[in-house]
Amino acid sequence: MISRFQIAYKNLLRKKARTLLTLVGIMLSSWVLVSLLGFNRGYEAALNRDIDNMGYQLMVMAKGCPYEAATMMLQGGTGLRYIEQSMVDSIVHRSEVDKVTPILMQAFFDPDKGDGGGIAGYFGVDAETFPTMKPFFRFRQGGWFHDEQAAEAVMGYEAAELEQREVGDKILVPEKNVQLKVVGILERTGTQDDGTIFVPLKTLQKISGIDKITTIGIKVKKDADSAKLEAALYQLPDVQVVSFTQVKQTIMKLVATARVMVLSIAIIAMLIAMAGVVNTILMSVLERLQEIGILKTMGAMPGDIFILVWTETLILCSSGGVAGIGLAFVFARLSDILVRRVLPYAPGGELVAIDLKLALLTLAVIVVVGLLSGIYPAWKAGRVRPLESIRSEG
Amino acid sequence: MRGEGSIQMIRKALVFPLALLLLLVAALPALGAVGCDLNDPDRDVARLFPDSSGYKTSYTAIDKRGGEPLLREVEKRLGDRFHGIYETIDVPYTIYEVYSGRRKAGYIHGVNQKGQFGGIQVFVALDMEGRIKSFYIQKMTSQWAKKLRDPRFGRQFAGLSLRDFEAYDPVAGKGSGRVAEIRNPAPEAEADFRAALRALKKNLILMDEFVYSAERGKP
Repeated sequence: MISRFQIAYKNLLRKKARTLLTLVGIMLSSWVLVSLLGFNRGYEAALNRDIDNMGYQLMVMAKGCPYEAATMMLQGGTGLRYIEQSMVDSIVHRSEVDKVTPILMQAFFDPDKGDGGGIAGYFGVDAETFPTMKPFFRFRQGGWFHDEQAAEAVMGYEAAELEQREVGDKILVPEKNVQLKVVGILERTGTQDDGTIFVPLKTLQKISGIDKITTIGIKVKKDADSAKLEAALYQLPDVQVVSFTQVKQTIMKLVATARVMVLSIAIIAMLIAMAGVVNTILMSVLERLQEIGILKTMGAMPGDIFILVWTETLILCSSGGVAGIGLAFVFARLSDILVRRVLPYAPGGELVAIDLKLALLTLAVIVVVGLLSGIYPAWKAGRVRPLESIRSEG
Repeated sequence: MRGEGSIQMIRKALVFPLALLLLLVAALPALGAVGCDLNDPDRDVARLFPDSSGYKTSYTAIDKRGGEPLLREVEKRLGDRFHGIYETIDVPYTIYEVYSGRRKAGYIHGVNQKGQFGGIQVFVALDMEGRIKSFYIQKMTSQWAKKLRDPRFGRQFAGLSLRDFEAYDPVAGKGSGRVAEIRNPAPEAEADFRAALRALKKNLILMDEFVYSAERGKP
């Protein structure tokens, strides 16, 4: 015996072009919807990952001191201001603080870099605490310094590539003419660490003749109140606090605005697709009035007709939804590239993260909205009067 | 017949997704080797070829032009193996083709070379016969870099060609002819001096393989 599902399926096949166009509409709207929800999730995760990869969420430095390596290079290291290393001790004991690491940034002028010379930047880092802040660092060759006063350097991937350095090679600190042995080369991280040369803090202090530091990196405990700590740090004399949580919130606000706009477009696309569903099913019902009338004379109840027509809606929406989600999975990488081109700032890693849970959620939304759209045509079909419909001209 | 039609339909249906898949794979970021470009091409071309009116930039690599056999040939002519993780078959080379009006006036080409304290970037400006018009070191980290980057040192190479380097082994620092007569202006930096000469010989060999041998073969 032929099932209700088979009847609905065959009915849809009667007008193949119309059914196909409706399916394409549903497919496109579900593709947009799932990609957008995937972006919503992926972007935030990627941004969090980027901020976690900084190793610390707060940085303390002297007021007016540039904290970005790029800024430091542009200023030729002239804008550097220093803070006492003892400040580390006054921060490390706070209850909100998980870890603290002192950093000294230094820039030296290399007259033989290009035509007019260039700046070579060095990061003096504490051999004990800094590596624990960056547990995600992977070494391409070698490892960290052997002791805190060693004449050694660890190079970021791009710095090593530019200088053609391997472990065991020497580098020369310009201006000071101090030789350092390369003991480690990092894998690419996609951050500014790739272009950085790390030197033990005490070694860099000795080279530059400075016993101070430029920055303190602070990793906040997971459940701690970061804002409270920030406010407390501002009480320290002559310092500025850079919070990556603030940076993240600002970026997320910018992205949220764009997301609302795109979400509105996705909702409109879905509504258009659903209008297409209503149109297709309603047309199909109107074309089959006599048939429905005959079914009723044979004993079919209004509920049976309603479910039969509703099944057609279900088939359309679920097939279109599955196809659209499939496309979103296949083209997730392409969506990623497009989003990266459009956004002013895109963190590293996967931006459009679609998983099975998200796919099922989107499918459920599409099917539910589709079934709601199908209520009217199904209700209209259920209300058909058998004799009137049979008498009417086909 | 119907079976064949279905197979054709399946084939057609597969072409589009496969093409897109290829497009996506091609769009993945590749971690390639680092090349060697002029710091400021507009300014540098005008300085090296004062009569030039323009230039064209092209990119090539050993793996694109001849692969492993070409690499072996270059190594044989150089008298040294390509070594290290940065001197590989896929290193991109930038060739600047310089024009004076509609006439091609020469080429500018640079290579990276591992130096004692960092990467060295060695550039040559060549005429259409492959003779050196100018030689200079764009970047070098060394206490004695100033002496090796001095234009007086570079001027000694003017007029030399690959033929002059054939009788000289820059790795051993031995040989005969005009190249062997060039003195190291910084005896303390012998390693960097030899590295610069090795880079120059490699530069000339690559230009011969990429450009001049192809031009000689033209009817």
